[in-house]
Amino acid sequence: MNLWYTAPREQEVERGKIQGIYERSVVVGKNYMDPRYQILENLKVSYNYFKIKLTAPGTPVPKLGQFYQIRCSTTTDPLLRRPFSVHRFVQLGNIAHLEILYRVAGKGTEWLSNRKKHEFLDILGPFGNGFILDEGNLPLVIVSRGIGIAPLYAVGEEVRKRDNKREIFILMGARLKERVFYESECKSLGKVFIYTDDGSTGFHGRAPDLLLHLLQEKKLPEKFTLCACGPAQMLKELDELSVRFGFRGQVAMEDRMGCGFGACLSCVCPLRVSEIVINEQWEKPALQWSEDGTQVFSLVCKDGPVYDLNEVDWNEWTA
Amino acid sequence: MNGRPDLSVHIGKVSLRNPVMPAAGTFGYAIEFAPFIDLNRLGAILVKSVTLKPRLGSYPHRLVESPSGTVCTIGLQNVGLQRFIEEKMPFLRQLEPPLIVNIAAQSVEEFGELASRLDKVEGIHALEINVSCPNEKKGGMQFGIDPELTYQVVKAIRKETDLTLITKLTPNVTDVTVIAKAAVSGGADALSLISGSLAMVVDIEKRRSRLGRNLTGGLSGPAIRPIAVRMVWQVAQVVSVPIIGVGGITCAEEALEFIIAGATAIQIGTYNLVDPTSLIKTIDGIEGYLVRKKIRSVRDLIKTLKI
Repeated sequence: MNLWYTAPREQEVERGKIQGIYERSVVVGKNYMDPRYQILENLKVSYNYFKIKLTAPGTPVPKLGQFYQIRCSTTTDPLLRRPFSVHRFVQLGNIAHLEILYRVAGKGTEWLSNRKKHEFLDILGPFGNGFILDEGNLPLVIVSRGIGIAPLYAVGEEVRKRDNKREIFILMGARLKERVFYESECKSLGKVFIYTDDGSTGFHGRAPDLLLHLLQEKKLPEKFTLCACGPAQMLKELDELSVRFGFRGQVAMEDRMGCGFGACLSCVCPLRVSEIVINEQWEKPALQWSEDGTQVFSLVCKDGPVYDLNEVDWNEWTA
Repeated sequence: MNGRPDLSVHIGKVSLRNPVMPAAGTFGYAIEFAPFIDLNRLGAILVKSVTLKPRLGSYPHRLVESPSGTVCTIGLQNVGLQRFIEEKMPFLRQLEPPLIVNIAAQSVEEFGELASRLDKVEGIHALEINVSCPNEKKGGMQFGIDPELTYQVVKAIRKETDLTLITKLTPNVTDVTVIAKAAVSGGADALSLISGSLAMVVDIEKRRSRLGRNLTGGLSGPAIRPIAVRMVWQVAQVVSVPIIGVGGITCAEEALEFIIAGATAIQIGTYNLVDPTSLIKTIDGIEGYLVRKKIRSVRDLIKTLKI
């Protein structure tokens, strides 16, 4: 991992202390900024959902499901970087275009939504584990709620690119009709099922209700693999359905993060001791076991943010 | 003025090439920052709290942001002494700056045992004593809010080791100078202050703490900086041992506030998470200030607050 940059503050620039680590910087007005992450566009997609497109270094190529830590402030309030999953990454030789789909949910994302074309961003990453996409070619069922579609669209797009014949089903929705977005984009990938909590469009209910309905009505293939992203309660119920119906899945988790690179130990996610998945792509270097070996915590930033649906201890996570 | 200013300082028996080091718990085991900075430029390396046995730490969720700060409860999650020595020390030994290991325990005896075992480990230069942890024998009361307990802990550790001892003081007390004096009479070579200020953030929709079951956490970051500067100044009036100032520092100017108020060295904590290069920028910035002010040594700046 060698992708990092932080912009020095104005007074440091004035003091002429720019040396060494800022060598690849450029002067923009009075600020030295990283030229690698420049905004190409930052547009409202719908409701409070935005899409930002940036220039980015061509390497390392982020894995789908990985995240970047973006500084969403030039002051100490908001203070911490905000994690954003990769939505799309398009390589163009030495540089690339990075797209991030985000929801304005607070001060940090509000600040981000006000950034204009040509401005630069202070970004660290990519961090974490990605989705494992080469698990046979079972039909793929994507389950998302709200902004959860951000990393999942990329999964669908990659699967479609690799195998044009593989079936993709997308269950997506939100609380109400006005907040359902990205439907037309998803329709280009596969069969889309919409749900809303209030029934204002599509299926009346939440994502797990819709999945259960489709399973009972035999509208999904008998065997499939699932990728999901959304609120903890939704993921917990998907886990219960996976046990009942015998399918496997992967989930992208989100949590408040301190650093994003394994130093602060803030983003712990409890795992089920007997279900831990460790393989070449998911090394899980940060597991912390209790002394008696009956409990284990992982770090979302290092051991996640993508997990096997069954390995997360959902009761502890949602307690 | 000819030549570069002298940034070196002494903390007990330890010589630091500059007064800037990370704060415990925000720097992992140092290796996490190797991709971002040259660790050998730091005044000292300070690693997160080590306990005798591995600790799982607090339940999720552990962190919530507040204005210019974070409220955080990690609960001393760490790999335990044995794995620390076997897995973390080989990397830490390769680094040039002196190594300070933060230690935490649930009883005076446990502190003593930790010190005795770390005393025999090659490559450790100082121990920072975390007295903000709860004492199991006294019903979970923090050692660091009681002068007698603080004295006993430091004394028990002093008995076991000649390593430089730094006692880290909590701000959650009425009069920090009483605890500071108790730590020094117990045998502390230096004091570091402050650790997090106990805090809570409420989710009004769920009527729950934003830290869930953990309820409370330590407030750190720029929000607590003026309190930390005040406490460093107060303690500097009553003890003669070196003080390490810590609390919300993000840059050289803020580090210098602590040094002028009475600190010999400073630690950066929360801001490491935001800008992993802030330690290096702070070292450069302190040097720049000394050049600008034509001050030959940073030691000439310590405790120079005009009253």
